[in-house]
Amino acid sequence: MEGLKSANQTQEGKQHIMAAALHLTKALVASDYLPEDMKKIFTDLDTHLSSMAVIAEPKGGLEFSELEQRLKLAEEKVGAWMSNQLMAWDSGHNEASRHFKVIEEIQSLMESLRALTSEYEFGKPMELLRRAESLLQTAMTRLEEELVHVLHQHKQYFEPEYMSFRSCGSDVTFDESFASVEEESPEEASQRNSTGSEPDDHLVDLIQPNVVPHLKSIAKMMFASDYGQEFCQAFVKARKEALDEYWATLGMDTFSIEDVLKMGWKSLNYEMKRWTWIMKIIVLVYLPSEKRLCDQILGDFGSFSPRCFVETSKATMVYLLNFGEAVAMGNHKTEKLFRLLDMYEVLADLLLDIDTLPFEEAGCYVQNEFHELLGKLGDCTRATLVEFRRAITSNTSTTPFAGGSIHPLTKYVMNFIKTLAEYVDTLNVLLKDQDEEEDPNSVFEMHNDIEDGSSSTCSPVAYHLRSITSTLESNLNNRSRLYKDGALQLVFLMNNINYIVQKVKDSKLGPFFGDAWIREHIARVQQQATGFVRISWSSALSLIRSDDGHALPRAIFKERCRAFSFAFEEVYRNQTGWLVPDSKLREDLQISISQRVIHAYRNFTGRNSNDERHIKYTADDLENFLLDLFEGSPRSLQNSRRK
Amino acid sequence: MRATENQGSFLNRISIRRNQVVSMEGNHEQELDDLEIFQKHVADRFSNLLSSSSSSPEESAATAATSSDSLLSIAWLRKLLDTFLCCEAEFKALLIIGREPSQVSKPPLDRLVPELLDRVVKALDVCNAVTHGVDAVRHCQKLAEIAVSALGQRPIGDGQVRRAKKALNSLIAAMAIEDRDGSAGSKGTERAWSFGRRGSSAAGASGSNKDQATAQFRSMWWGMAKGWSAAKQVQAMSANLVAPRGNESSGLAHPVYIMSTVVVFVMWALVAAIPCQERTGLATHFQVPRQLGWAQPIIGLQDKIAEEWKKKEKKGTAGLLEEMQRLERLGQSLVEFADSFRFPAEAEKLEEVAAQVAELAETCRRMEEGLVPLQQQIREVFHKVVRTRTEVLEVLDQVGKVSSTPTM
Repeated sequence: MEGLKSANQTQEGKQHIMAAALHLTKALVASDYLPEDMKKIFTDLDTHLSSMAVIAEPKGGLEFSELEQRLKLAEEKVGAWMSNQLMAWDSGHNEASRHFKVIEEIQSLMESLRALTSEYEFGKPMELLRRAESLLQTAMTRLEEELVHVLHQHKQYFEPEYMSFRSCGSDVTFDESFASVEEESPEEASQRNSTGSEPDDHLVDLIQPNVVPHLKSIAKMMFASDYGQEFCQAFVKARKEALDEYWATLGMDTFSIEDVLKMGWKSLNYEMKRWTWIMKIIVLVYLPSEKRLCDQILGDFGSFSPRCFVETSKATMVYLLNFGEAVAMGNHKTEKLFRLLDMYEVLADLLLDIDTLPFEEAGCYVQNEFHELLGKLGDCTRATLVEFRRAITSNTSTTPFAGGSIHPLTKYVMNFIKTLAEYVDTLNVLLKDQDEEEDPNSVFEMHNDIEDGSSSTCSPVAYHLRSITSTLESNLNNRSRLYKDGALQLVFLMNNINYIVQKVKDSKLGPFFGDAWIREHIARVQQQATGFVRISWSSALSLIRSDDGHALPRAIFKERCRAFSFAFEEVYRNQTGWLVPDSKLREDLQISISQRVIHAYRNFTGRNSNDERHIKYTADDLENFLLDLFEGSPRSLQNSRRK
Repeated sequence: MRATENQGSFLNRISIRRNQVVSMEGNHEQELDDLEIFQKHVADRFSNLLSSSSSSPEESAATAATSSDSLLSIAWLRKLLDTFLCCEAEFKALLIIGREPSQVSKPPLDRLVPELLDRVVKALDVCNAVTHGVDAVRHCQKLAEIAVSALGQRPIGDGQVRRAKKALNSLIAAMAIEDRDGSAGSKGTERAWSFGRRGSSAAGASGSNKDQATAQFRSMWWGMAKGWSAAKQVQAMSANLVAPRGNESSGLAHPVYIMSTVVVFVMWALVAAIPCQERTGLATHFQVPRQLGWAQPIIGLQDKIAEEWKKKEKKGTAGLLEEMQRLERLGQSLVEFADSFRFPAEAEKLEEVAAQVAELAETCRRMEEGLVPLQQQIREVFHKVVRTRTEVLEVLDQVGKVSSTPTM
């Protein structure tokens, strides 16, 4: 230290002498008592001395040597910093702020030196400036390493607990063959509702909050030293890696568009669910948090914050966008409808959040394209609905459905629209502008709307749901014509229309169909029931009906008894094989048969009570036999009697 | 936008003519005319591209001369995409506007159109891969910009030289890794390693520069599925591409073939120029029959690009994009300068460096100007192609509705 000091003093001494010489020379040149040739010599000397640039004004010279002194000190400090393997943050707060002070010192040195070198192109000040620049480069490189280190060591991920992704095992399957008629699982319904409640404050800390001020100081240092580009490169790289890692921890696979278009329904269903799930996490939580981080660290540096944000997140958002595009490009199979609606709903909800992210600001196309994607998903959803109706219409058969029971198509369609009604708000938006010309029942619908008048029956969804059921009804009418037996035809229609009505009444579908619709359909079932009893029993009844109330002659009575028993057995054999699954409808039918047939039979047997041995069945027997009807297992009275 | 304007006018003209065709039932002359016009337009447009690309990227990259639209430059690629969009619009008009849907579903079109749609889906994935590739190129541009600003300081000192070298080493390592992913040549690997080593030893205090740079580009997420290969995709697109022969060559089969060729060629050129996931085997390009008149300019371009690719494979340089080749050449030269730099540098050397820095700055400027629009244009191609596919599918769907009577 002593040696250094004396060396400095020697240096200083030299400078003083040089300064004095220059001063003297200038004075001589300026004077007018020198001959011209002498003046020439001194002028040259002046230029020469000046170009040595060791000396400025005496004051400047002092300042200069002081600068050199400071630079040396800074060099020592940076040297010590470099030899320390530990990162500043890990060595404690004091260490870090010492480093920042050194950088500030270098910056201020460079500023002073630049002011001096503006006068002198070459020489000592320039050399010092170069040394300072080199020192700054060393410090900046180290600071960049520090930045990367801190970004990696202190990054944090969050577990998306409150939006955990359920496996799709317990899913209702809607398939094109209409084979699956499972009722909707209660979980499915509750799952939809549960996704609606997310915490208000979505922001999380992607970097431990205690290091954020340190990172901000690094940014400040690097930007002040004109190393902003280096900062952004390193920052974006580290943040991008963090997002990639997070993406991997979420278990996300990446698919090409070709992959998505070729994907089987099971995988596609899964991936579509994942998309809706991950969109929420990324757009609601991750990216706003990333944006906050960028703003916290880079907020003071203008457009750098949005630019770094976009560079970090663009690839991920573009992937999500392209997956959506691929889905919207796919076919319009009915099975996709709910997943499409999910995707549409999620995106519609998230668009505002996407808009608050600074994509547009950084000139990135992502934001606009998500808006366009919403339209495409909407188109695809509508097309899928149209396809659904087309599938109902074209689902025809050449053989009657055995037993006249509820057709799987009816169950499928009703369960389907029951779930569809859950998406009422979205569907109202999607269906609002749709052409309504294609529906043949629109006149009836208009009438219905006016009569009922409530807003839910007039909504586009209500219109659409009713038009789906009317498509279904006309399909059922066509199917009923396949039965040769007029009674069975009516059982089929009764069963199916009754099922439709019950589904409407017992679910949230009611308001969409309205009381008038329900009344009208119940009445239709009742008419069918009446018609059914008439068709099935008219010939049997004609045997036992009496016009005048008198007893019949024995031979005729005997013949009528035989014929009636035969007719009853015939009906019994047929109609025990038919199935009316709805117990209420079954009982209604049995009661109405009992009222007409058993009642008449009691009269018939009562009038001819003197000849009871021809009576094969008592009225009570018949009453009991009626209970066997519509159970779907063919029985025969002859057989049962033999037993 | 030039492309959009053209498209509008094509659509208008074609649709008016097509209506006439329909009204004058069975006017085959008119139809033949349309086909000929389409062929001629395709030939003309690609001729323009061929003539504007008189200098090869290597030649032009080797000279400081900046002819802005030389082969495989950003400006040239934008012209290529314009050309594609025009051909696409005209083809769509020819195929579906005012046409009886059943015509599109008759043999051999019932096979050729779905094959085209399949190609088109593959093209979409290529578009996506290339879109990501443009971001990789932008990353290189940013590194080059650091070097430009560092070496632009006067006088050049040790600090700025080291700063520039660090950025350029990252740039070269990034390109070499990109190249390794791209052509998987052993040379590429070796090169990446040697550059990296040179970088790290010279970077001194900055330590493991090579590892950093390597990780930097590894972390570039391509946004594509694992194992997805741009080269294989292009090969699959051209796999069943056969010129219609005999009876098949009349009618719409020929324009479908032309459009398929255009799609495959454009995607092939994009993959050759812009870094993207897995390009091994791209050199084996598809064959277009040489006797077809309209195909001559495409074949000409194909030959030129294939030649460039061969040179590239030998040298192990990164990508055919003219601007990237420039960055690479200038980057290497400036790193050499930086390695031997002792203050004060000779005036002559400084002059040379100044010229190189100016060229690097000019290249960066062109990238800054061109890359964002290029990326947007690739997106435009993506969306146009999606829309056309949808419209064609709708036409096929109409035909299907009429003809099919499904039963349970």
